[in-house]
Amino acid sequence: MERRGVLQSVIAFASLLGAGVLPYGVSSLLAPGKARAKRNYLRPPGALKDDAAFVAACIGCGLCGEVCPPRCIRFHARDGAAMVNTPYIDPEQKGCTLCNKCMEVCPTKAITVVSRSEIDMGIAEIDRTACYPWVDRGVCGACVSICPLGAKAIVFKMWNQYQPIIKQGCVGCGLCVEVCPHPSLPIWVIERPHPTPQRNKASS
Amino acid sequence: MTLPSHKPFFLWRHLNKLRWLTLSVVFAMLVLLPYLHVYQTYVAAHAYDLLAPSEQQVYDVMEALTEPFVGDPAEDLDAIKGNTWSGTFWGVQLSDPLAALGQSAAGMTLYWPFWLTALIPIALSAVFGRFFCGWVCPATFIYELNSNFASWLRWAGLKVGNRHFDKRLKYVVLALGLILSAVTGSVLVAAIYPPAIVGREIYYVIGIGGFGAGTMFFVGTLLFDLLIARRGFCRYLCPGGALYSLLGRYRLVRIRRIVETCNDCAKCNAVCEFGLDPLRDGFGQECNNCTACMAVCPTDALTFILRPADVPAQGPGHLGRRYRGEHTEIDGTAAEQEEAA
Repeated sequence: MERRGVLQSVIAFASLLGAGVLPYGVSSLLAPGKARAKRNYLRPPGALKDDAAFVAACIGCGLCGEVCPPRCIRFHARDGAAMVNTPYIDPEQKGCTLCNKCMEVCPTKAITVVSRSEIDMGIAEIDRTACYPWVDRGVCGACVSICPLGAKAIVFKMWNQYQPIIKQGCVGCGLCVEVCPHPSLPIWVIERPHPTPQRNKASS
Repeated sequence: MTLPSHKPFFLWRHLNKLRWLTLSVVFAMLVLLPYLHVYQTYVAAHAYDLLAPSEQQVYDVMEALTEPFVGDPAEDLDAIKGNTWSGTFWGVQLSDPLAALGQSAAGMTLYWPFWLTALIPIALSAVFGRFFCGWVCPATFIYELNSNFASWLRWAGLKVGNRHFDKRLKYVVLALGLILSAVTGSVLVAAIYPPAIVGREIYYVIGIGGFGAGTMFFVGTLLFDLLIARRGFCRYLCPGGALYSLLGRYRLVRIRRIVETCNDCAKCNAVCEFGLDPLRDGFGQECNNCTACMAVCPTDALTFILRPADVPAQGPGHLGRRYRGEHTEIDGTAAEQEEAA
Protein backbone atom coordinates (compact mmCIF):
# COMPACT_ATOMS: atom_id res chain seq x y z
CA MET A 1 0.00 0.00 0.00
CA GLU A 2 1.42 3.33 -1.13
CA ARG A 3 -0.48 5.46 1.37
CA ARG A 4 0.40 3.23 4.26
CA GLY A 5 4.09 3.42 3.50
CA VAL A 6 3.96 7.20 3.26
CA LEU A 7 2.05 7.40 6.54
CA GLN A 8 4.56 5.15 8.26
CA SER A 9 7.50 7.18 7.08
CA VAL A 10 5.79 10.41 8.14
CA ILE A 11 5.14 8.96 11.59
CA ALA A 12 8.72 7.71 11.84
CA PHE A 13 10.05 11.12 10.83
CA ALA A 14 7.79 12.91 13.30
CA SER A 15 8.78 10.63 16.16
CA LEU A 16 12.44 11.07 15.24
CA LEU A 17 12.01 14.84 15.34
CA GLY A 18 10.11 14.58 18.61
CA ALA A 19 12.79 12.45 20.22
CA GLY A 20 15.46 14.82 18.96
CA VAL A 21 13.72 17.91 20.28
CA LEU A 22 12.96 16.23 23.61
CA PRO A 23 16.13 17.29 25.48
CA TYR A 24 15.73 20.90 24.34
CA GLY A 25 12.11 20.86 25.40
CA VAL A 26 13.00 19.44 28.79
CA SER A 27 15.73 22.02 29.30
CA SER A 28 13.40 24.89 28.46
CA LEU A 29 10.68 23.43 30.67
CA LEU A 30 13.11 23.39 33.57
CA ALA A 31 13.87 27.09 33.09
CA PRO A 32 10.43 28.45 32.29
CA GLY A 33 10.80 32.04 33.45
CA LYS A 34 11.32 34.77 30.94
CA ALA A 35 14.45 36.81 31.34
CA ARG A 36 13.72 39.31 34.01
CA ALA A 37 13.85 42.80 32.61
CA LYS A 38 14.78 44.44 35.85
CA ARG A 39 15.84 47.99 35.39
CA ASN A 40 19.14 47.41 37.09
CA TYR A 41 20.38 44.29 35.32
CA LEU A 42 23.47 45.22 33.34
CA ARG A 43 25.61 43.31 30.91
CA PRO A 44 29.32 43.09 31.75
CA PRO A 45 31.54 45.94 30.55
CA GLY A 46 32.48 45.65 26.90
CA ALA A 47 29.50 43.46 26.11
CA LEU A 48 27.89 43.89 22.73
CA LYS A 49 25.30 46.62 22.93
CA ASP A 50 22.76 44.70 20.88
CA ASP A 51 21.48 42.20 23.41
CA ALA A 52 20.34 39.69 20.79
CA ALA A 53 23.83 39.69 19.31
CA PHE A 54 25.26 39.29 22.78
CA VAL A 55 23.09 36.26 23.57
CA ALA A 56 23.97 34.73 20.20
CA ALA A 57 27.70 35.23 20.78
CA CYS A 58 27.79 34.10 24.42
CA ILE A 59 28.32 30.37 24.92
CA GLY A 60 27.65 30.47 28.67
CA CYS A 61 31.06 29.20 29.74
CA GLY A 62 31.13 31.39 32.82
CA LEU A 63 34.75 32.52 32.36
CA CYS A 64 33.85 36.18 32.87
CA GLY A 65 32.36 35.31 36.24
CA GLU A 66 35.31 33.18 37.19
CA VAL A 67 37.82 35.98 36.77
CA CYS A 68 35.70 38.76 38.24
CA PRO A 69 37.55 40.01 41.35
CA PRO A 70 34.48 41.42 43.14
CA ARG A 71 32.35 38.48 41.91
CA CYS A 72 29.79 40.92 40.56
CA ILE A 73 29.05 38.92 37.39
CA ARG A 74 26.15 36.56 37.88
CA PHE A 75 24.36 34.34 35.42
CA HIS A 76 20.84 33.88 34.12
CA ALA A 77 20.80 30.33 35.46
CA ARG A 78 17.04 29.91 35.73
CA ASP A 79 15.66 32.67 33.54
CA GLY A 80 14.62 30.82 30.45
CA ALA A 81 16.56 28.52 28.18
CA ALA A 82 16.91 31.27 25.59
CA MET A 83 19.21 33.16 27.94
CA VAL A 84 21.39 30.06 28.43
CA ASN A 85 23.52 31.25 31.32
CA THR A 86 24.49 34.59 29.92
CA PRO A 87 26.15 36.92 32.42
CA TYR A 88 24.64 39.94 34.06
CA ILE A 89 25.58 42.36 36.79
CA ASP A 90 23.09 43.26 39.46
CA PRO A 91 24.49 46.52 40.84
CA GLU A 92 22.17 46.34 43.84
CA GLN A 93 24.24 43.34 44.93
CA LYS A 94 27.66 44.21 43.54
CA GLY A 95 28.87 46.86 41.18
CA CYS A 96 31.52 46.45 38.52
CA THR A 97 34.99 47.75 39.34
CA LEU A 98 35.99 48.18 35.67
CA CYS A 99 39.01 45.89 36.03
CA ASN A 100 38.65 44.67 32.39
CA LYS A 101 39.49 41.05 33.28
CA CYS A 102 36.24 39.71 31.80
CA MET A 103 37.00 41.41 28.49
CA GLU A 104 40.40 39.82 28.28
CA VAL A 105 39.22 36.33 29.15
CA CYS A 106 36.09 36.11 27.01
CA PRO A 107 36.81 33.53 24.28
CA THR A 108 34.07 34.79 21.99
CA LYS A 109 33.27 38.24 20.75
CA ALA A 110 30.43 38.60 23.26
CA ILE A 111 32.63 40.74 25.49
CA THR A 112 35.17 42.73 23.55
CA VAL A 113 38.17 44.61 24.85
CA VAL A 114 37.41 48.32 25.03
CA SER A 115 39.17 51.09 26.87
CA ARG A 116 37.79 52.16 30.20
CA SER A 117 36.20 55.36 28.93
CA GLU A 118 34.47 53.55 26.05
CA ILE A 119 32.66 51.09 28.28
CA ASP A 120 28.93 51.61 27.93
CA MET A 121 26.90 49.59 30.39
CA GLY A 122 24.44 52.42 30.76
CA ILE A 123 24.34 55.68 32.64
CA ALA A 124 23.35 56.38 36.19
CA GLU A 125 20.24 58.36 37.00
CA ILE A 126 19.36 60.07 40.26
CA ASP A 127 15.90 60.53 41.65
CA ARG A 128 16.16 64.05 43.01
CA THR A 129 12.94 63.65 44.97
CA ALA A 130 14.41 60.88 47.12
CA CYS A 131 18.19 61.29 47.33
CA TYR A 132 19.02 62.53 50.85
CA PRO A 133 21.06 65.62 49.94
CA TRP A 134 18.66 66.58 47.18
CA VAL A 135 15.69 66.59 49.56
CA ASP A 136 17.84 68.36 52.13
CA ARG A 137 18.02 65.55 54.60
CA GLY A 138 21.65 65.63 55.45
CA VAL A 139 24.97 64.98 53.74
CA CYS A 140 25.93 61.76 52.00
CA GLY A 141 28.23 61.75 48.96
CA ALA A 142 28.71 57.97 48.98
CA CYS A 143 28.14 57.70 45.22
CA VAL A 144 30.60 60.47 44.48
CA SER A 145 33.32 59.04 46.67
CA ILE A 146 33.00 55.49 45.27
CA CYS A 147 32.94 56.47 41.59
CA PRO A 148 36.02 55.02 39.84
CA LEU A 149 35.82 57.62 37.07
CA GLY A 150 35.77 60.68 39.28
CA ALA A 151 34.72 64.10 38.22
CA LYS A 152 33.88 63.25 34.63
CA ALA A 153 31.13 60.87 35.75
CA ILE A 154 29.61 62.29 38.90
CA VAL A 155 30.13 65.55 40.75
CA PHE A 156 28.59 67.53 43.54
CA LYS A 157 26.32 70.36 42.54
CA MET A 158 28.50 72.78 44.45
CA TRP A 159 31.66 72.17 46.42
CA ASN A 160 29.96 72.52 49.76
CA GLN A 161 26.64 70.95 48.88
CA TYR A 162 26.34 67.22 48.54
CA GLN A 163 23.72 66.94 45.80
CA PRO A 164 25.26 64.55 43.22
CA ILE A 165 24.94 65.23 39.51
CA ILE A 166 25.61 62.63 36.81
CA LYS A 167 27.86 63.64 33.95
CA GLN A 168 28.01 62.11 30.49
CA GLY A 169 31.30 60.39 31.32
CA CYS A 170 29.46 57.86 33.45
CA VAL A 171 29.83 54.31 32.06
CA GLY A 172 27.20 52.68 34.25
CA CYS A 173 29.40 50.46 36.42
CA GLY A 174 26.80 50.54 39.19
CA LEU A 175 29.14 51.00 42.13
CA CYS A 176 27.07 54.05 43.16
CA VAL A 177 23.95 51.86 43.21
CA GLU A 178 25.77 49.36 45.40
CA VAL A 179 26.83 51.89 48.00
CA CYS A 180 23.72 54.06 48.05
CA PRO A 181 22.45 54.03 51.64
CA HIS A 182 18.91 55.05 50.75
CA PRO A 183 16.54 52.07 51.12
CA SER A 184 14.64 52.86 47.93
CA LEU A 185 17.79 53.33 45.84
CA PRO A 186 17.25 56.75 44.30
CA ILE A 187 20.22 56.09 42.00
CA TRP A 188 20.15 53.43 39.33
CA VAL A 189 21.58 52.64 35.93
CA ILE A 190 19.52 53.13 32.78
CA GLU A 191 20.17 52.63 29.09
CA ARG A 192 22.08 55.59 27.74
CA PRO A 193 19.35 57.58 26.00
CA HIS A 194 21.36 59.41 23.34
CA PRO A 195 24.80 58.00 22.84
CA THR A 196 26.94 60.96 21.99
CA PRO A 197 30.25 60.37 20.22
CA GLN A 198 31.90 63.02 22.33
CA ARG A 199 30.74 61.63 25.64
CA ASN A 200 34.15 60.32 26.53
CA LYS A 201 35.81 63.69 26.35
CA ALA A 202 35.75 65.93 29.34
CA SER A 203 32.18 67.16 29.42
CA SER A 204 30.86 70.43 30.68
CA MET B 1 49.50 -20.74 20.91
CA THR B 2 50.11 -17.16 22.12
CA LEU B 3 52.80 -15.66 20.01
CA PRO B 4 54.76 -12.67 21.29
CA SER B 5 53.44 -10.55 18.44
CA HIS B 6 49.93 -11.17 19.66
CA LYS B 7 50.65 -9.76 23.10
CA PRO B 8 49.63 -6.15 23.58
CA PHE B 9 52.02 -3.82 25.36
CA PHE B 10 51.68 -4.71 29.02
CA LEU B 11 50.70 -1.20 30.12
CA TRP B 12 47.66 -0.97 27.87
CA ARG B 13 45.48 -2.92 30.25
CA HIS B 14 46.28 -0.41 33.00
CA LEU B 15 45.25 2.59 30.93
CA ASN B 16 41.77 2.38 32.39
CA LYS B 17 43.19 3.32 35.78
CA LEU B 18 44.94 6.28 34.20
CA ARG B 19 41.63 7.23 32.64
CA TRP B 20 39.91 7.22 36.02
CA LEU B 21 42.74 9.32 37.36
CA THR B 22 42.28 11.80 34.51
CA LEU B 23 38.53 11.97 35.04
CA SER B 24 39.00 12.48 38.77
CA VAL B 25 41.59 15.21 38.24
CA VAL B 26 39.34 17.06 35.78
CA PHE B 27 36.39 16.82 38.14
CA ALA B 28 38.49 17.84 41.14
CA MET B 29 39.76 20.84 39.20
CA LEU B 30 36.20 21.87 38.40
CA VAL B 31 35.49 21.85 42.13
CA LEU B 32 38.76 23.47 43.11
CA LEU B 33 38.75 26.34 40.61
CA PRO B 34 35.60 28.04 41.97
CA TYR B 35 37.04 27.84 45.48
CA LEU B 36 40.28 29.34 44.21
CA HIS B 37 38.28 32.12 42.60
CA VAL B 38 36.44 32.79 45.83
CA TYR B 39 39.80 32.90 47.59
CA GLN B 40 41.06 35.34 44.96
CA THR B 41 38.17 37.67 45.62
CA TYR B 42 38.91 37.59 49.34
CA VAL B 43 42.56 38.36 48.66
CA ALA B 44 41.70 41.16 46.26
CA ALA B 45 39.39 42.71 48.84
CA HIS B 46 41.93 42.44 51.71
CA ALA B 47 38.96 41.30 53.73
CA TYR B 48 40.19 38.43 55.88
CA ASP B 49 39.07 40.02 59.13
CA LEU B 50 35.60 40.69 57.77
CA LEU B 51 34.97 37.09 56.67
CA ALA B 52 32.69 34.67 58.39
CA PRO B 53 34.44 31.72 60.09
CA SER B 54 33.47 29.33 57.29
CA GLU B 55 34.81 31.76 54.70
CA GLN B 56 37.99 32.08 56.72
CA GLN B 57 38.33 28.30 56.55
CA VAL B 58 38.06 28.45 52.76
CA TYR B 59 40.65 31.22 52.76
CA ASP B 60 43.04 29.25 54.97
CA VAL B 61 42.74 26.01 53.03
CA MET B 62 43.19 27.68 49.68
CA GLU B 63 46.11 29.72 50.96
CA ALA B 64 47.79 26.56 52.23
CA LEU B 65 47.19 24.85 48.89
CA THR B 66 48.46 27.62 46.66
CA GLU B 67 51.10 29.35 48.75
CA PRO B 68 54.05 27.28 47.41
CA PHE B 69 53.11 28.03 43.81
CA VAL B 70 51.94 31.62 43.55
CA GLY B 71 53.27 34.93 44.72
CA ASP B 72 50.23 37.12 44.21
CA PRO B 73 47.10 34.95 44.34
CA ALA B 74 44.80 37.64 42.98
CA GLU B 75 46.74 37.73 39.72
CA ASP B 76 48.70 34.48 39.43
CA LEU B 77 45.73 32.21 40.00
CA ASP B 78 44.18 33.55 36.81
CA ALA B 79 46.48 31.14 34.94
CA ILE B 80 43.92 28.32 35.02
CA LYS B 81 40.32 29.35 34.65
CA GLY B 82 37.15 27.96 33.25
CA ASN B 83 35.82 24.50 32.57
CA THR B 84 35.79 21.95 29.77
CA TRP B 85 33.27 24.00 27.81
CA SER B 86 35.79 26.79 27.50
CA GLY B 87 38.83 27.46 29.57
CA THR B 88 42.19 29.13 29.63
CA PHE B 89 45.40 27.44 30.70
CA TRP B 90 48.43 29.70 31.02
CA GLY B 91 47.22 31.82 28.16
CA VAL B 92 46.18 28.92 25.93
CA GLN B 93 42.46 29.08 25.39
CA LEU B 94 40.70 25.80 24.73
CA SER B 95 37.05 25.41 23.81
CA ASP B 96 34.73 22.58 23.06
CA PRO B 97 34.17 22.18 19.29
CA LEU B 98 30.45 22.09 20.03
CA ALA B 99 30.73 25.55 21.59
CA ALA B 100 32.32 26.89 18.43
CA LEU B 101 29.76 25.16 16.24
CA GLY B 102 26.81 26.24 18.38
CA GLN B 103 28.02 29.81 18.53
CA SER B 104 28.47 29.94 14.78
CA ALA B 105 24.95 28.57 14.34
CA ALA B 106 23.41 30.96 16.86
CA GLY B 107 25.02 34.08 15.45
CA MET B 108 25.13 32.82 11.84
CA THR B 109 28.68 34.11 11.71
CA LEU B 110 32.10 32.56 11.66
CA TYR B 111 34.25 34.11 14.36
CA TRP B 112 37.63 32.57 13.65
CA PRO B 113 39.50 33.53 16.86
CA PHE B 114 37.00 31.41 18.73
CA TRP B 115 37.34 28.54 16.26
CA LEU B 116 41.11 28.70 16.84
CA THR B 117 40.52 27.86 20.49
CA ALA B 118 38.63 24.74 19.39
CA LEU B 119 41.39 23.69 17.03
CA ILE B 120 43.43 21.60 19.49
CA PRO B 121 40.40 19.54 20.61
CA ILE B 122 39.40 19.03 16.98
CA ALA B 123 42.91 17.85 16.05
CA LEU B 124 43.05 15.52 19.04
CA SER B 125 39.63 14.13 18.13
CA ALA B 126 40.78 13.48 14.59
CA VAL B 127 43.58 11.32 16.02
CA PHE B 128 42.01 9.77 19.12
CA GLY B 129 38.35 9.87 18.15
CA ARG B 130 35.76 10.42 20.81
CA PHE B 131 38.40 10.44 23.56
CA PHE B 132 36.87 13.50 25.25
CA CYS B 133 33.83 11.44 26.24
CA GLY B 134 35.87 8.81 28.00
CA TRP B 135 38.89 10.67 29.29
CA VAL B 136 37.98 14.28 30.04
CA CYS B 137 34.24 14.87 30.25
CA PRO B 138 33.28 15.74 33.84
CA ALA B 139 29.80 14.37 33.25
CA THR B 140 31.29 10.99 32.29
CA PHE B 141 32.83 10.84 35.75
CA ILE B 142 29.36 10.99 37.30
CA TYR B 143 27.69 8.91 34.60
CA GLU B 144 30.14 6.05 35.07
CA LEU B 145 29.68 6.15 38.82
CA ASN B 146 25.97 6.13 38.09
CA SER B 147 26.23 3.07 35.91
CA ASN B 148 28.38 1.34 38.54
CA PHE B 149 25.60 2.16 40.98
CA ALA B 150 23.15 0.62 38.54
CA SER B 151 25.16 -2.58 38.44
CA TRP B 152 25.14 -2.69 42.25
CA LEU B 153 21.39 -2.32 42.13
CA ARG B 154 21.18 -5.11 39.59
CA TRP B 155 23.40 -7.24 41.82
CA ALA B 156 21.01 -6.54 44.70
CA GLY B 157 18.16 -7.85 42.58
CA LEU B 158 16.56 -4.56 41.58
CA LYS B 159 15.55 -3.85 38.04
CA VAL B 160 17.44 -1.10 36.23
CA GLY B 161 16.74 0.11 32.75
CA ASN B 162 18.54 -1.50 29.87
CA ARG B 163 16.55 -0.40 26.87
CA HIS B 164 18.19 0.19 23.54
CA PHE B 165 17.44 2.93 21.06
CA ASP B 166 18.97 3.92 17.78
CA LYS B 167 22.45 5.40 18.32
CA ARG B 168 21.92 7.70 15.34
CA LEU B 169 19.38 9.67 17.36
CA LYS B 170 22.14 11.85 18.77
CA TYR B 171 23.03 13.13 15.32
CA VAL B 172 19.42 14.24 14.98
CA VAL B 173 19.74 15.94 18.36
CA LEU B 174 22.90 17.70 17.20
CA ALA B 175 21.35 18.85 13.92
CA LEU B 176 18.16 19.98 15.63
CA GLY B 177 20.16 21.79 18.28
CA LEU B 178 22.07 23.73 15.66
CA ILE B 179 18.87 24.54 13.79
CA LEU B 180 17.12 25.64 16.99
CA SER B 181 20.17 27.70 17.95
CA ALA B 182 20.04 29.46 14.60
CA VAL B 183 16.28 30.05 14.94
CA THR B 184 16.28 31.30 18.52
CA GLY B 185 19.60 33.12 18.31
CA SER B 186 21.04 31.65 21.50
CA VAL B 187 23.45 28.76 21.96
CA LEU B 188 20.82 26.19 22.93
CA VAL B 189 23.17 23.19 22.74
CA ALA B 190 24.88 24.60 25.84
CA ALA B 191 21.67 24.09 27.80
CA ILE B 192 21.58 20.33 27.26
CA TYR B 193 25.26 19.43 26.98
CA PRO B 194 26.17 17.66 30.24
CA PRO B 195 29.88 18.64 30.55
CA ALA B 196 28.99 22.29 30.06
CA ILE B 197 26.16 21.93 32.58
CA VAL B 198 28.35 20.21 35.17
CA GLY B 199 31.18 22.72 34.82
CA ARG B 200 29.07 25.80 35.23
CA GLU B 201 26.69 24.42 37.84
CA ILE B 202 29.63 23.57 40.10
CA TYR B 203 30.77 27.17 39.67
CA TYR B 204 27.29 28.51 40.40
CA VAL B 205 26.96 26.53 43.57
CA ILE B 206 30.40 27.37 44.95
CA GLY B 207 31.14 30.78 43.47
CA ILE B 208 27.71 32.39 43.36
CA GLY B 209 25.44 30.24 45.48
CA GLY B 210 22.42 28.31 44.26
CA PHE B 211 21.93 25.74 41.55
CA GLY B 212 20.66 26.71 38.14
CA ALA B 213 18.15 24.90 36.01
CA GLY B 214 20.91 22.78 34.49
CA THR B 215 21.22 20.75 37.67
CA MET B 216 17.64 19.56 37.34
CA PHE B 217 18.32 18.61 33.74
CA PHE B 218 21.45 16.73 34.73
CA VAL B 219 19.65 14.86 37.50
CA GLY B 220 17.03 13.98 34.91
CA THR B 221 19.69 12.49 32.63
CA LEU B 222 21.07 10.50 35.58
CA LEU B 223 17.61 9.06 36.23
CA PHE B 224 17.22 8.36 32.51
CA ASP B 225 20.49 6.42 32.60
CA LEU B 226 19.49 4.56 35.73
CA LEU B 227 15.89 3.71 34.95
CA ILE B 228 15.57 3.59 31.17
CA ALA B 229 18.80 3.04 29.30
CA ARG B 230 22.32 2.40 30.57
CA ARG B 231 24.49 5.44 29.72
CA GLY B 232 21.49 6.44 27.65
CA PHE B 233 22.18 10.14 27.36
CA CYS B 234 25.73 9.66 26.09
CA ARG B 235 24.74 6.86 23.75
CA TYR B 236 21.59 8.24 22.22
CA LEU B 237 21.13 11.93 22.95
CA CYS B 238 24.35 13.84 23.62
CA PRO B 239 24.97 16.40 20.82
CA GLY B 240 28.63 16.78 21.79
CA GLY B 241 29.13 13.05 21.63
CA ALA B 242 27.62 13.12 18.16
CA LEU B 243 30.04 15.84 17.07
CA TYR B 244 33.03 14.03 18.55
CA SER B 245 31.92 10.79 16.89
CA LEU B 246 31.79 12.52 13.54
CA LEU B 247 35.21 14.10 14.12
CA GLY B 248 36.62 10.74 15.11
CA ARG B 249 35.13 8.77 12.28
CA TYR B 250 38.50 8.38 10.55
CA ARG B 251 40.56 8.47 13.72
CA LEU B 252 44.03 7.02 13.69
CA VAL B 253 44.20 5.34 17.09
CA ARG B 254 41.78 2.46 17.39
CA ILE B 255 41.28 -0.59 19.53
CA ARG B 256 41.65 -3.91 17.74
CA ARG B 257 40.73 -7.40 18.81
CA ILE B 258 43.48 -10.00 18.49
CA VAL B 259 41.50 -12.89 17.16
CA GLU B 260 44.25 -15.43 17.93
CA THR B 261 44.00 -14.93 21.68
CA CYS B 262 40.31 -14.03 22.02
CA ASN B 263 38.22 -16.68 23.76
CA ASP B 264 34.76 -15.22 23.05
CA CYS B 265 34.04 -14.54 26.72
CA ALA B 266 32.15 -11.34 25.80
CA LYS B 267 33.29 -9.47 28.89
CA CYS B 268 34.29 -6.59 26.62
CA ASN B 269 30.74 -6.26 25.34
CA ALA B 270 29.38 -6.36 28.86
CA VAL B 271 31.74 -3.68 30.15
CA CYS B 272 31.46 -1.33 27.17
CA GLU B 273 29.75 1.79 28.42
CA PHE B 274 28.69 2.80 24.94
CA GLY B 275 27.09 -0.51 24.03
CA LEU B 276 29.56 -1.33 21.29
CA ASP B 277 30.53 -4.76 20.09
CA PRO B 278 34.28 -5.37 20.57
CA LEU B 279 33.64 -9.10 20.47
CA ARG B 280 32.75 -8.92 16.80
CA ASP B 281 35.16 -6.08 15.95
CA GLY B 282 32.30 -3.62 16.02
CA PHE B 283 33.99 -0.45 17.30
CA GLY B 284 32.99 2.13 14.76
CA GLN B 285 33.00 5.88 15.22
CA GLU B 286 31.31 5.68 18.61
CA CYS B 287 34.29 4.11 20.39
CA ASN B 288 35.94 6.61 22.69
CA ASN B 289 39.14 4.61 23.35
CA CYS B 290 38.26 4.40 27.02
CA THR B 291 40.15 1.07 27.25
CA ALA B 292 37.69 -0.46 29.70
CA CYS B 293 37.46 -3.50 27.43
CA MET B 294 41.25 -3.84 27.45
CA ALA B 295 41.32 -3.76 31.23
CA VAL B 296 38.66 -6.43 31.57
CA CYS B 297 39.91 -8.82 28.88
CA PRO B 298 41.12 -12.04 30.58
CA THR B 299 43.34 -13.12 27.68
CA ASP B 300 44.84 -9.74 26.71
CA ALA B 301 43.21 -9.98 23.32
CA LEU B 302 42.71 -6.23 22.76
CA THR B 303 45.37 -3.82 21.65
CA PHE B 304 45.82 -0.51 19.88
CA ILE B 305 46.21 -0.15 16.17
CA LEU B 306 47.14 2.86 14.06
CA ARG B 307 44.77 2.72 11.15
CA PRO B 308 42.09 5.07 9.82
CA ALA B 309 39.53 2.25 9.62
CA ASP B 310 38.46 -0.67 11.75
CA VAL B 311 39.69 -4.13 10.85
CA PRO B 312 36.81 -6.06 9.27
CA ALA B 313 35.08 -8.72 11.34
CA GLN B 314 37.54 -11.53 12.07
CA GLY B 315 35.12 -14.22 13.13
CA PRO B 316 35.09 -16.10 16.44
CA GLY B 317 38.14 -15.99 18.68
CA HIS B 318 40.64 -18.77 18.24
CA LEU B 319 40.55 -19.76 21.91
CA GLY B 320 36.77 -19.85 21.94
CA ARG B 321 34.71 -22.99 21.94
CA ARG B 322 33.10 -22.25 18.60
CA TYR B 323 36.33 -21.79 16.68
CA ARG B 324 37.91 -24.83 18.26
CA GLY B 325 34.83 -26.90 17.50
CA GLU B 326 35.10 -25.90 13.87
CA HIS B 327 38.84 -26.54 13.67
CA THR B 328 39.24 -29.70 15.75
CA GLU B 329 40.19 -31.85 12.76
CA ILE B 330 42.74 -29.39 11.46
CA ASP B 331 44.30 -28.22 14.69
CA GLY B 332 43.17 -30.87 17.13
CA THR B 333 46.39 -31.26 19.06
CA ALA B 334 46.68 -27.58 19.84
CA ALA B 335 43.07 -27.42 20.98
CA GLU B 336 43.57 -30.41 23.23
CA GLN B 337 46.66 -28.85 24.69
CA GLU B 338 44.70 -25.69 25.39
CA GLU B 339 41.98 -27.63 27.14
CA ALA B 340 44.50 -29.54 29.20
CA ALA B 341 46.24 -26.33 30.23
